[in-house]
Amino acid sequence: METIIDDYISIINDYISGELVQDASLLPLGRTTSLLETGVLDSLSALRLVVFVRERFGVMVDDVDLIPENFDSVDAICHYIRSRDVKGAAHAGNRG
Amino acid sequence: MRATGADTAPPPGPRGRQEWIAFMLGVLRLAEGIAFWLVAAPLLSMLPSRIAYRAACLRGDFMFWSWPDKRDEIMSNLRQVLGPELSEHEARLMARDVFRTRTCTIIDLMLTRGQARPLGKLVEIRGREHLDAALAGGKGAILCTPHIGSYICAHSLIHANGYPVTTIGRWWWHYPPGGFSVMLRMWDFVYARRVLRHRHRPNIEPWPGRFQVAVQAANVLYDNEVVTLCSDAPPLYAEMPRVIEVPFLGRQARLVPGVVPLAQLTGATVLITSIHRSPDYRHQVLEISPPVSMEGETAAALARCAAAMGAAIMASPVEWDFWYKMEDLARLGLLSDVIPSAVPVIEAN
Repeated sequence: METIIDDYISIINDYISGELVQDASLLPLGRTTSLLETGVLDSLSALRLVVFVRERFGVMVDDVDLIPENFDSVDAICHYIRSRDVKGAAHAGNRG
Repeated sequence: MRATGADTAPPPGPRGRQEWIAFMLGVLRLAEGIAFWLVAAPLLSMLPSRIAYRAACLRGDFMFWSWPDKRDEIMSNLRQVLGPELSEHEARLMARDVFRTRTCTIIDLMLTRGQARPLGKLVEIRGREHLDAALAGGKGAILCTPHIGSYICAHSLIHANGYPVTTIGRWWWHYPPGGFSVMLRMWDFVYARRVLRHRHRPNIEPWPGRFQVAVQAANVLYDNEVVTLCSDAPPLYAEMPRVIEVPFLGRQARLVPGVVPLAQLTGATVLITSIHRSPDYRHQVLEISPPVSMEGETAAALARCAAAMGAAIMASPVEWDFWYKMEDLARLGLLSDVIPSAVPVIEAN
């Protein structure tokens, strides 16, 4: 479980650091750095991130999940992806 | 306790008296506006459309004559943007038409009752095949619309014709947050209620700090539905760092480029929608354009959008919403010698 989360953190951190962070002074990006307070995540960068998450992890982000608790930091994003992954796997298992 | 004359008398001095008169005229205008929205417009919309729109034009004329400050502001805005070749007389006629068409849009809104058939009878829709083709692509459609005429009712008509429409846009009376609650309820009652009847989902309302807005819009498009947005809106102060300057109405304007990344990231087709009123003020033509390419750099794609919106506005300039307020034109960057204030100001009709 920890290894999976660590992989997620590495992937998400690399993406956000490379594609979304405009202010170089925020790098290296901490796992718990607030992406909303630092202005890294605005409406359009959030869309870019969600498209990336969808393509990379196959996770569709529903409107109800668009809350700061799920997207305010790299840690929060990874835990959200993991929770959706687990739910998705459980759902697939139930159907199988 | 009885009020004395001193409680109600204007302050002494000519300046004080003028301010008091201006204040009282403002109160009267507000009362007239509320009465028109709540009582007169709904009643007029029950009458034959010829009478209803004639009455709307008369109200527009009354406002034109009774509100010289606003009339002068509109005339000045028109001449500054459209150029000095616009004569004083032409600007005056255009300003009168600005007041007329703004009142006609209230009648339009009242005619969207039920399935919007009363308004549908007066509006010819052209270019539906472009919207059908866009939705056949399976990635949704973005209707990019300038703030022209009855653009909100145009979106309602498109929804009433069977397309699932959701709007990205703010209810102006809710912003900046913290307004007078009675007025908020009134506008919700007279305005939002009539618009939301013809929307598939609640409005997606952008505002600084709302990081979820573009994702919500993308989710609508992923469901192969229609999103409407107005890309000619004056940017908020918080949006200034990400505006792009593009040619618009013969000048360089500051526009928020949201439509471009939204289309590029979702693959949705962008169509320009405009609605124009005929000289009889009753009949209108709603035009949906062929797709506008969103390929290439953001600035180039936004410039194509701005060019198409600008052409739609210039087809009937008086119907553009932003002649009404110098502050809006200044924030768009269309008035080079006016510095916009830091606080976003959003005003009702």
